[in-house]
Amino acid sequence: MERDQTLRLVFEAIDQVNQQLPAAKRLAKRPDTVIVGPGGPLDSLGIVTFVIALEEKLGDALSRSVQLLDESVLSDAEGPFHTVGSLAQYLVTLPVA
Amino acid sequence: MADRVHLVADFNAESLARLLANSVLVGADVTTSPYGQVYQTLSAPPEPDWSVVIWTQPAAVVEHFRRALDFEPVDLERALDEVRAYAEAIRRFAAGVRNVFVPTWTLPPFERGYGMLDFRSGVGLAHLLARMNLTLAEALRDDPSVFVLDAQRWMNAAGARAVSPKLWYASKTPFSPTVFEHAAADIAAALAGLRGAARRLVILDLDNLLWDGVVGELGWEGLNLGGHDFVGEAFADFQRALKGLTRRGIQLAVVSKNDEAVALEAIDRHPEMQLRRADLAGWRINWLDKAQNIVELLADLKLGAESAVFIDDSAIERGRVREAVPGILVPDWPEDPTRFRETLNSLRCFDTPFLTNEDRARSGMYAAERDRQATFAAATSLEEWLSSLNLTIGVETLTPPSLERAAQLLNKTNQMNLSTRRLTAVELEAWADDPRHTLLTFRVADRFGDYGLTAIVGLTFADRVGHLTDYLLSCRVMGRRVEETMLHVAVARCRAQGARQLIADFRSTPRNAPCLDFLRRSGLREIETHRFVWDAAVPYERPRSVALHDGSDLVTPADR
Repeated sequence: MERDQTLRLVFEAIDQVNQQLPAAKRLAKRPDTVIVGPGGPLDSLGIVTFVIALEEKLGDALSRSVQLLDESVLSDAEGPFHTVGSLAQYLVTLPVA
Repeated sequence: MADRVHLVADFNAESLARLLANSVLVGADVTTSPYGQVYQTLSAPPEPDWSVVIWTQPAAVVEHFRRALDFEPVDLERALDEVRAYAEAIRRFAAGVRNVFVPTWTLPPFERGYGMLDFRSGVGLAHLLARMNLTLAEALRDDPSVFVLDAQRWMNAAGARAVSPKLWYASKTPFSPTVFEHAAADIAAALAGLRGAARRLVILDLDNLLWDGVVGELGWEGLNLGGHDFVGEAFADFQRALKGLTRRGIQLAVVSKNDEAVALEAIDRHPEMQLRRADLAGWRINWLDKAQNIVELLADLKLGAESAVFIDDSAIERGRVREAVPGILVPDWPEDPTRFRETLNSLRCFDTPFLTNEDRARSGMYAAERDRQATFAAATSLEEWLSSLNLTIGVETLTPPSLERAAQLLNKTNQMNLSTRRLTAVELEAWADDPRHTLLTFRVADRFGDYGLTAIVGLTFADRVGHLTDYLLSCRVMGRRVEETMLHVAVARCRAQGARQLIADFRSTPRNAPCLDFLRRSGLREIETHRFVWDAAVPYERPRSVALHDGSDLVTPADR
């Protein structure tokens, strides 16, 4: 997938999780928005909800099951889930079915 | 006051709580019970003004269902006994809170049970679950503060992704965000209905909404409606759905840019029209601005914009009305007519906690009202016209069969309303049961038809004074001397109780100026701003044009 496409899927997952957040804490649809790590507004339930929504959207796009919910990756403040931009870049590397 | 919603669940319901608090009921106070503590919560209700959602999974509440889920033989009667015990716990709990919402039990889409045997009585899980849900609904049906919500509809809306096993294992959340979105929207609609905020009028365009084509160009004979064309069939089906709304007490009206005679001829003469002139509460068919027409129509129907929905196939007209008529609901509308019925039936704005006989009869009242207005035009004076109506008013204290309608009227009457007090049916019944209180209901009829229960007077007696706690009247019978008759009965009731005065304190709202106007010309003295008094030593005269039937000795013979 191209980065524009992965970024769009991340934004769609943000739309879903934002409904559960107070207006002041909603994730901005920008590459530098922090998802995991210091300054991130999501608690553990928010992160799980976001990642599962993203898995479903990726699964539809790639026509295969996608597994992103991994404790070690999610807890890594410098890992691919740190920001919207790093996540979109990471998803580009996922193989297509 | 902001809604207060408490969630009780045997699973992680935090996602639903967050949706309610942050998106659907912004500003509401939303709390959750500790995870899994259903019965503990049911034994200790939070506070009386909370609405509570009790959402459980069937295997957690009904042990015999859990066994059936493990493919042990089904013991239907013992499972249903468990359901009845659960329902009884909910009923006891409901007595201590404002309302209770109980979503039905569901199974995940992947759960196939016994496959081809799954709906066989005594065997299948699907059959057992259906019986459990029916038993639950029947056990709770007589409690007016408990509402069983159809969770299967939320599951269907989410399709195969109604559940996510990963979400369950990772967070003990058994439903997807989409299921919760639909649940939250239904709960919000139910709360709005309980506040009396359900929409009561649908204002419709004509061309390309009720029929396919432009009647001014094609004539009614050229319109595509009904018949064997799938598009024509979709338009006719949409009209049937609209007609169905009228049987729920929702009025229909037309605002259309057309030649009135041409459009009405189509409504009257097209053989496939499902809606006829008698189905319409009113219309404005001309070439003027639709927003202005809507404002005038609402004034005629004595309804506020927040009671109305406007449906138009034109996005430009929808945008104009949305902007120019604050409060009106203008739903986005699909271009594809085969989706019109689906879009209408998906609207949640009509949800109400009751369906009364008055609602079902309302559609038949439009033609009667037009006949009535025709006689008004021919009369030489207002008094002559009122006398010709043969108006009869029956008054009685609140009875159980009248409770739902009385609560409905109390919660949705805005204009002729002294205090705009809002109470649930349970709260109203409890208030009326207090010996210091008298709650009177008024049924109004004339020679053109029966309006049903259309007015309420609530009185509180203390220190030989009768306080008019509630004084409200449906806008449909305003200006027909019902107002004066209600005061006559209220004063007579004060006299019968030995009260020296009737006092009415007007509480102003953005909508109830008509009530203040009436009070100021009623003959009651305004002894200070918005406080009105009548000396009960003197009867308040009954209007001569009204025949009063007092079925329960509320009024002493001298005052009849």
